[in-house]
Amino acid sequence: MDIKEYIASGILEAYIFDTLSPQERAEVEALVVQYPELRDELNAIEAGLEDIAMATAIQAPSHLKANIMAAIGGEDEGQLVGNVSQEAPKVIPMPQTNTGVWKYLVAASVALAVVSSYMAYDYRLKWKSSSDAFAQLQAQNSQMAEQYNQVNNRLDELVADIDVISNADFKRVNMAAVDASQSFAASVYWNAKTDEAYLNIQNLKTLTEEQQYQLWAIVDGKPVDMGVFDFDVEGLIKMKSIKNAAMFAVTIEPKGGSVNPTLDLMQVAGAV
Amino acid sequence: MEQDRRNSVLLFTLHLNITDIAPKSLHIEEHDLVLRLQNQDKSALSYLYDKYGDALYGAAQRIIQDEDVTSEVIQDVFLKIWNKIGMYDAQKGRLFTWMINLTRNAAIDKIRSKEIKRSAKTDSIDDNVYTIDRQNSTESSVDGIGVKELMDDLVEEQRFVLIKVYFEGFSHSEIADEYDIPLGTVKSRLRSALKHLRHKVKL
Repeated sequence: MDIKEYIASGILEAYIFDTLSPQERAEVEALVVQYPELRDELNAIEAGLEDIAMATAIQAPSHLKANIMAAIGGEDEGQLVGNVSQEAPKVIPMPQTNTGVWKYLVAASVALAVVSSYMAYDYRLKWKSSSDAFAQLQAQNSQMAEQYNQVNNRLDELVADIDVISNADFKRVNMAAVDASQSFAASVYWNAKTDEAYLNIQNLKTLTEEQQYQLWAIVDGKPVDMGVFDFDVEGLIKMKSIKNAAMFAVTIEPKGGSVNPTLDLMQVAGAV
Repeated sequence: MEQDRRNSVLLFTLHLNITDIAPKSLHIEEHDLVLRLQNQDKSALSYLYDKYGDALYGAAQRIIQDEDVTSEVIQDVFLKIWNKIGMYDAQKGRLFTWMINLTRNAAIDKIRSKEIKRSAKTDSIDDNVYTIDRQNSTESSVDGIGVKELMDDLVEEQRFVLIKVYFEGFSHSEIADEYDIPLGTVKSRLRSALKHLRHKVKL
């Protein structure tokens, strides 16, 4: 067995660092008994490890030792008092109690200072994070209120629309696409008793900024303007009241509407 | 306190006397120390702390990188030494080797239980080691040698293995598996690195 090679393999360091399997450990231990050179090398490695640790020591916090000694049940002061008091029973107890009291007072005040500054710091952090959270909640709250209002308005509109649709006095007039190849559609809800009229878009094409749709009624063979509307309105749109309508039609007109319908651009139409 | 100081002085004189007579004093003194610890002599633990506390603290702090957690670990380690001294077997190595292995294992358990991600740590370990040394340079130990200086002229491969084993608690086979280095190479590199450090510390 080549001892030099065995040492050079680094197995002894692994042994010292306790990273070998139990089997490997046993093997090393058996060889160490057999070869004194291995024992010497182990000693040198251990000494080296200690030297390295000593040379790279970092000063521990001063309270650490006191904590440790306190954890194992305090320092052996009781014994000291016992021994000494046999020789000088009157002198020793006084300073002993004094330093004891002072020690505890100092320790208590230091502990109090540490604890209270930590608590102050901790409360500041907590206050800061809750004030942030509060601002965030406020923002969320106003956003929710806004959304609620929007939804509420939309709901009011829908309820009003349903009133119209479910009212038997309103007649629904469907307008189909003039160009049969298109699927444009819209309808008019018209109350012949009160003359009220509402428009509902099912499908109309998108217009440019300069264009609007215009609704017409045919009364006594003549077109009568019933008002303009945008291509993207939803729900029922209140239009101008009309009497004796025979037909409804929608044309594309310049924004604001025209006096006479541009018949070429008639999109949908339907008879009452 | 007074008692501690007396014991320290006593031990110190004892140590000096034996040193004068026998060269292998440390083992004899250690033997005495271990006996006293086994007899639950608190002054022996106090002496042990005075002598090795900062060295163990340094070893743990370099792994943990957090003073409070390190203090907690070192306190646990000393309590373990105090309660488990019966498990120490002088046949298998020095008291210090036993203590530093306890310390390193406790430190490594601590950071692993805190789920500090190994990958993040791997990237910055060099920086951390250096920062710690710089931070503590004023209050740092004894003769002021930092780990940085010690490792300065190590070959990169050796330094890597040393950092993995000594500061991050990798086992040899873990390094071999994770970094695809033959196990034998890991062992011999660690040996070379430690040997180099040993010489440097002695200078």
